[in-house]
Amino acid sequence: MMKLKNVWLVLLAGVAALGLNAFASGHDEGHGGGGGPKDAAKETADFILHHVADDTEYHFELPFVHFPAFHFSALFGEKPGDGLYVERSPGACSLPVADTFKPYPSLGAFLNGCWDLRPTKAILMMWIAMVLLFTFVFLGGKRDQNGVPKGLAAHVIESLVLFVRDEIAVKNIGAEEGPKYTPFLATCFFFIMSINYLGLIPGFFTGTGVITVTAALAVITFVVTQVAGLKSAGPVGYVAHLFGDVPLLMKPLMFVVEFVGLFTKPFALMVRLFANMLAGHMVLFFLLALIFVVHVGAAVLSVPMAAAIYVLELFVAILQAYIFTLLSALFIGQSVALGHHHHGEAHEGHH
Amino acid sequence: MNALVLASSFTDVKPGLIIWTWITFIVVFIALRKMAWGPLLKSVEDREKNIVNAIESAKRERAEAEKLLVEQKTAIAQARQEAAEQVRKTQADMEKFREELMGKAKKEAEDLKVDARRSIEEERAKAVSDIKAEAAKLSIQIAEKLLTERLDDPKHQQLAQQFVAELAQKKMPSA
Repeated sequence: MMKLKNVWLVLLAGVAALGLNAFASGHDEGHGGGGGPKDAAKETADFILHHVADDTEYHFELPFVHFPAFHFSALFGEKPGDGLYVERSPGACSLPVADTFKPYPSLGAFLNGCWDLRPTKAILMMWIAMVLLFTFVFLGGKRDQNGVPKGLAAHVIESLVLFVRDEIAVKNIGAEEGPKYTPFLATCFFFIMSINYLGLIPGFFTGTGVITVTAALAVITFVVTQVAGLKSAGPVGYVAHLFGDVPLLMKPLMFVVEFVGLFTKPFALMVRLFANMLAGHMVLFFLLALIFVVHVGAAVLSVPMAAAIYVLELFVAILQAYIFTLLSALFIGQSVALGHHHHGEAHEGHH
Repeated sequence: MNALVLASSFTDVKPGLIIWTWITFIVVFIALRKMAWGPLLKSVEDREKNIVNAIESAKRERAEAEKLLVEQKTAIAQARQEAAEQVRKTQADMEKFREELMGKAKKEAEDLKVDARRSIEEERAKAVSDIKAEAAKLSIQIAEKLLTERLDDPKHQQLAQQFVAELAQKKMPSA
């Protein structure tokens, strides 16, 4: 009992400190140079968005300690034309973005010829997560002469990898093809999980809360899925499947349905992971923001609630990694089944 | 910030970020596959194979042991049967041998009896003849003593012997 109580106290203190330091430093800087006092609610919203959105700089914050912002992207090129901040034609980065691309300013700028290929805060977090993951896997690499894992980390890693192999890969892809995709699925699971957990450490940012990152991950799954289908059914079988097993007149319609289906699957993967990771952090921030926007007394309610959400997030971090991996396995399994399905039909035709 | 700018902070798609995510993922994938998943899955597969092998060999050994046990039981039963037969045979042999021995002993005893009877008969006959001779001699000596002078010639002696012989024939014909 005592122990549980201590954990809760530490958690509450941690969440309070996180919120406090974030807002404290936020208010120090002050957004915009307007003369009069700004609307507190709007300022807070801006502040929160700034904290959950990807950026070229990274601001590590501790309570009451002011660190200067780390201009991470600047390491790879400070201004248009430098290093990875490519400007295809002079002045391309100063061009206004077309109205169609207003919600996607970076994409608009890219199409204008302003290729900002510099790593951002999300990539920095991914690299930190990668280093932590490598360390964890290295620590968990100890085995005795019989190949039995030694130590807690080794047992955790092995049980998770075996879970991915037996419960995700084999169950969805099959006992024959499943083990071949286990390294890919285990990488998805561990990589996403590391990024998710890193984002839960106060002061760090969640890479998977950025839609570009989840889109890139979803595209990887998409490519693996299509390659699995092509390998399994062959190019002819793969294309034949897109037209479905329907009368000739229906085939064009079927093609549209199947073709759209190819992209809705990874799209769902992308949105699910992004929305889950972003929403949890935003809820945390907004609950704590009540203290600054409404009244200091709101802390009585908002801090315990934020702590509860934090605990939920600890679960969601592994759950979303699991769901992404499970759905990837499911899609790959469907693709692999294309070939087997086809063979099955051919066999039936012979009889 | 207007609503569009707020929304754009979530929906903004950055080509550079996509590329870097791919690069990072591929690096993580290659490194982990080589350093972690490969060795881990291989050692797990080896262990699983070992366990399957151990179970298989245990099953095989057990089947073999059961087979051996059955064989041993059969062998023991057979040995027991053989032993019983041997005993029975030995007993029969002994019985036969005993009978043979008994028969032989009986026959020998019979032979001995016959021999003894014959030798007794012979001895008796000899004794009778000896006695006869002795009697004749004694008679002659007596007669000699009685008739010293007159009856010492062979004619008398012959007479006396004839007399004894007749005596023997008359008195002991059954001897």
